[in-house]
Amino acid sequence: MSEALIKIESVSKEYATRKGMVSAVKDLTLDINRGEVVCIVGASGCGKSTLLNMVAGFIRPSSGRILLDGREITSVEPRCALIFQNYALFPWMTVIENVSFGARLKGMKKAERQELARSWIETVGLTGFETAYPSELSGGMQQRVALCRALANEPDVLLCDEPFAALDAMTRQLMQQELLRAVEESGKTVLFITHSIDEALILSERLVVMSARPGRVKAVYTNDLPRPRRLEVQITERFLELKREVWDLVQEEVMGSITQKRG
Amino acid sequence: MERRPFEFWQLAVIGSAGLLAFLAIWELTVRIGLVDAFFLPPPSMVLARMKALATGPDAVLLNDIRMSVGRVLAGFALSVIVGVPCGLVMGISPFIRALFNPIVSIIRPLPALSWIPLSMLWLGIDEQQKYAIVFMGCFASILVYTTDATMRVDPLLTLAARNLGAKRFQVIRHVILPGALPNILSGLKVVLAIAWTCVISAEMVGANVGLGFRIWTAKEWSDTGQVLVGMLSISITVLLLDILFKVIEKLLLPWQKVGNEG
Ligand SMILES: Nc1ncnc2c1ncn2[C@@H]1O[C@H](COP(=O)(O)OP(=O)(O)OP(=O)(O)O)[C@@H](O)[C@H]1O
Ligand SMILES: [Mg+2]
Repeated sequence: MSEALIKIESVSKEYATRKGMVSAVKDLTLDINRGEVVCIVGASGCGKSTLLNMVAGFIRPSSGRILLDGREITSVEPRCALIFQNYALFPWMTVIENVSFGARLKGMKKAERQELARSWIETVGLTGFETAYPSELSGGMQQRVALCRALANEPDVLLCDEPFAALDAMTRQLMQQELLRAVEESGKTVLFITHSIDEALILSERLVVMSARPGRVKAVYTNDLPRPRRLEVQITERFLELKREVWDLVQEEVMGSITQKRG
Repeated sequence: MERRPFEFWQLAVIGSAGLLAFLAIWELTVRIGLVDAFFLPPPSMVLARMKALATGPDAVLLNDIRMSVGRVLAGFALSVIVGVPCGLVMGISPFIRALFNPIVSIIRPLPALSWIPLSMLWLGIDEQQKYAIVFMGCFASILVYTTDATMRVDPLLTLAARNLGAKRFQVIRHVILPGALPNILSGLKVVLAIAWTCVISAEMVGANVGLGFRIWTAKEWSDTGQVLVGMLSISITVLLLDILFKVIEKLLLPWQKVGNEG
């Protein structure tokens, strides 16, 4: 492995609130290699979204720094595409307009960018819906458009903040397959946040467990489940073994944070 | 259980029935002498009067409508052209907002009519005074509606656009503007009604043509029929303009769900 694509170097983030400073992330260090899929799991409120927003450049760390390809991220970074939990599609744009928006911003000609968008729309199986508006699509379809829009912008990194949390179990599994396929084809680097240990085990090459707030890295697992992954992997011995291990750790943190609050 | 809504033709039939019944009762009350025709001419007389005013040798009605509509639209357009961009800037920049908010809050509570004396002192009773009165009545409202609409655009969409590489100006053009448009348009619909109030009242106070003027002179001559013709003309014109506005709204907002309004 050469130099990591993303280097998170002892990053901390404090929020100023009415009750004083809240430490959301504390002294977190993590390297993510090019082409790697890293999933982060952790209790609610442990600072996962905060971390992702810092990598996207939406907020600045209070201390420490984040490097992308050796350069510090200091403002919104289009090379790291963020996929939001509630899709964040532009409701006034059709599917194809949403997908080709990034290219439009760069000044690409209409015919050209629409052709580009069309091929992406085809890869996520939405051909025929090019001129539909987001409000006319189901949640799963909207999230596919969002994935498509991010990929069409050709980022180096996909940042996913629980993108499938609002979907039903079936659609969710479908989307996981979709993402795995897209990532395998394009070799994108992915940083994926989820509440679901199953989802993390299905998607990840490495799995990071975060501690309760303030968030730091509690443990890192190398996920040795075979690739390419199919959903059947969920019923293998190894999967259950890993799941138990991770689950125990997360549980410990959740219990810890509850007693900490009481105390 | 919810009742199935009526089809369009059913609505048309029921509505016409109601309207016809209303007119029939009105006509009858006057015909049988319950009400003096001098105070309230029956629909048949109003219609005849309207026909005379619209087509007779001294037909003034169409010109009145043309003048009033022209004044409304000119003044309204003027206040939209100035008010919407100003509102956008106020919505986007907290500094500009803080700077102008106190001034706007002083101007906005003033009823449009309270501007009439000042505008007459400044501009007399010619066309410019009519435009000015509409502008003064509408501008602050448009400003507030637009500022509000701009501030209510989902900040997540702004983030999404910036994440896709949008620069500040591109965010305004591709996210803030289209995102605020639905609320701006529904604000403008309210303001258009204010513009009508301004023009009609300004015409009643000082003008020599226009629907407001026509109604006022008819009152001076105790010509109840003509007063009613004037009022009816206003109502029909406003209805037509409303339909036009809705068509424009549909064209501008093809992505908005249809049928959320009656
Ligand atoms: N803008 C903010 N201002 C103040 N405090 C904040 C802000 N955003 C987050 N926090 C606090 O920082 C902590 C971490 O929040 P964050 O959203 O990163 O958690 P999370 O791990 O994503 O949680 P979840 O899994 O529920 O989405 C929380 O305690 C939250 O209250
Ligand atoms: Mg979160």
